[in-house]
Amino acid sequence: MSTVLILAPVIISNWPVIVAAAAGAASALGFAAKQSVDETVKQGQAEIQESVEIELADSQVISEGMRTGQEIVLKRGTVELRVTRDERGRCAVCAKGVGHTKAELRQIAQEFTEKMTQCFVYNRVMSELKNKDFKVVNEEVTDDQSIRIHVRRWVD
Amino acid sequence: MAQHEVEINISKTGEVKVHIKGAKGKACLAYSEWLSKLIGKVKEQQYTSEYYEPETKARINLQQELKNEGQ
Repeated sequence: MSTVLILAPVIISNWPVIVAAAAGAASALGFAAKQSVDETVKQGQAEIQESVEIELADSQVISEGMRTGQEIVLKRGTVELRVTRDERGRCAVCAKGVGHTKAELRQIAQEFTEKMTQCFVYNRVMSELKNKDFKVVNEEVTDDQSIRIHVRRWVD
Repeated sequence: MAQHEVEINISKTGEVKVHIKGAKGKACLAYSEWLSKLIGKVKEQQYTSEYYEPETKARINLQQELKNEGQ
């Protein structure tokens, strides 16, 4: 054995990479990309629709090539998530929906940001490991939803 | 030829635990620096006995290789 590192991820990337991570998280958590105007919004006009926003603290979305107001809108049941770049350049996730408390929406948004972070780190790590000629020996998702990757390479 | 292995565990919350095996001394340090630049902030680092073993030429070459690729 040599060394063991514990790292807290920092998300600094351009919009397409953020979109890829959000798409991975959406897929894993059962969210689908929203199609134009939907019934949730219409229903929300008649009923009370709670809304919460959380941001990924250690994140920076590079705005180059990103259109103003560009966002990802996802839906699961009556819950709608919006992934955006806030005015400080951080990645933010806003959850809203009818029939959910603020606490429930906060939990959903938190779960999504965690999954998105996991997807971001996975995509980044796998891409770089392959660039450095590492071969994947084993890859699995454990019972606690962690992703475990084992790679190897030979060095002259 | 030396075999270098890396075990990476990405937790449900996104925290990452990396275990670098087979690399010693500065080669191990080169991997640590590369991974921390790639992923984020180092919260904790533990060195094991292998880290302190003498390096070979292979490890020096690896360090140069990682440095060149990072530029």
